[in-house]
Amino acid sequence: MITPAPAPASAAAVHPEEPAWLELDQLTERLNLAVDRAMGEAGLWAPMLAARAVRQAEGDPTEAAHLLRAHRAALPRLAVSVPVATSELRVVRRISSAFRNPPGGQILGRTVDYAGRLLDLLPEDEGRAHVTDEPLAPADDGHLHHDHDHDHEHSADPVAVERVPGNVLAILREMGLVAPLPERPDDPEPYDITRRPARPGAPRSAWLQTMARGDTGSLVHLWWYGCDWRPDHEIPGELRHGALPVRIAHPHTGKPVTVAEVRVSEVESFYNVPRAAAQRHLGVGYGICFGHNERKSIAMAGLDLALAHYDADSELHHDVLLTLDGLDSTGYAQHLKLPHHVEYRSVLDRAEAAGQDANPPGETA
Amino acid sequence: MSSTPTRERRCELLAAAAHEEIVPLAERLLADGALPEPTVLKSPETGMVVLQVREPVEETRFYLGEVLVTECSVEVAGVPGWCMRPGDDRVAALSGALLDALAAAGGPATAEIDALCAAVAERHASQDAAEWADVTATTVVFEELT
Repeated sequence: MITPAPAPASAAAVHPEEPAWLELDQLTERLNLAVDRAMGEAGLWAPMLAARAVRQAEGDPTEAAHLLRAHRAALPRLAVSVPVATSELRVVRRISSAFRNPPGGQILGRTVDYAGRLLDLLPEDEGRAHVTDEPLAPADDGHLHHDHDHDHEHSADPVAVERVPGNVLAILREMGLVAPLPERPDDPEPYDITRRPARPGAPRSAWLQTMARGDTGSLVHLWWYGCDWRPDHEIPGELRHGALPVRIAHPHTGKPVTVAEVRVSEVESFYNVPRAAAQRHLGVGYGICFGHNERKSIAMAGLDLALAHYDADSELHHDVLLTLDGLDSTGYAQHLKLPHHVEYRSVLDRAEAAGQDANPPGETA
Repeated sequence: MSSTPTRERRCELLAAAAHEEIVPLAERLLADGALPEPTVLKSPETGMVVLQVREPVEETRFYLGEVLVTECSVEVAGVPGWCMRPGDDRVAALSGALLDALAAAGGPATAEIDALCAAVAERHASQDAAEWADVTATTVVFEELT
């Protein structure tokens, strides 16, 4: 029988001076990247539940994703959405390194791209006043300068900026630099890794779903470490963050109806093939995930490119499909819960027995 | 006077409305006796919609993830009403389905529901415009390096 140790009545018992309650809107607005990451790694878009999960997990996005996944497991699937093309993405940030000034504009949005990585050491009251007074207010020239200097000019022509810009991939395809769309009259049903475990040989829809809900750190690591097949790195030709509609067929009319909206980060990466290669087109990789998580979508796009380069029985396909899930890896790393001591005890017993076999009692070396 | 939206557009606006916008109206119409006795065909149920994305490289479909929603179906005087909203607010989903049925039935409450939908549409348009104004302020044009 397991006799639990007496637990403190509450966290307050451990921390007598309990800090103020963390409101959900503080989490969704001030710790939005942690909330987004938890949703992405859980594979569930539910901002208020994710905020609760981040709070309950004391700020650990992986643990928060675990809480969300567990909650998700008890929810029914009510519908499958009408397929949505990301050409519908209503952007709040869109940058392209493929073009100096791409059609639709370079829109920085909320970013620390040009900010110095200097720890903000403002006194607390000054920092609070600064945030309260002007949370996102542009400067006199209408732009968020923060504390940086930069060499770009702000657009004087707002017409050049588009809320739903065409993607760079389509432009490169029109220029003949990217292969035309393959003929695919059958439009295969997507693989669903939540219903069938994906194994090497699974179609691309399985890679994409696996990576979209993968652990951010694991994705970045695998992209960084495992992509030594190329002499240089691919170029994230376009990065976008914005809102996508979720539509289903109306139950009475059958026509599409928008029932929700999600934010996603999306990246298209391009790889300049060696000149000697027979292939004359740029390779293209694609990354997308829930919320604002640029490094995850960049890593995913790079890995998508690499996966197309390797055979299905390669180590990379195995690693992508079987090692990126945060719940799998952290669950294995931290399976310390009692009564795990039984397994450790048996290891100690075997080691002890082996030692006795080597040195039987009564014998001296 | 607000124009009557299509059935799909009304569902979209009732899905996008705040709890405070639709629940008090549904409660008042029920209390006023303006609603015939409704039948709940499907109690508010919280679940998920699988988000299917068509990616741009090969234009194949894949499942990006799932989205938390709450769905409810009712019938008022033989007219069906339906609502699916983001999140897990069951009361708001029930209210949305009731308002959808009432508006579809074309009764005296229709004008009020149309006005509510118009207000939601206007609020969203103005939020969207404010967000876009903030975002476009961060647009940059890079000069050619010489």
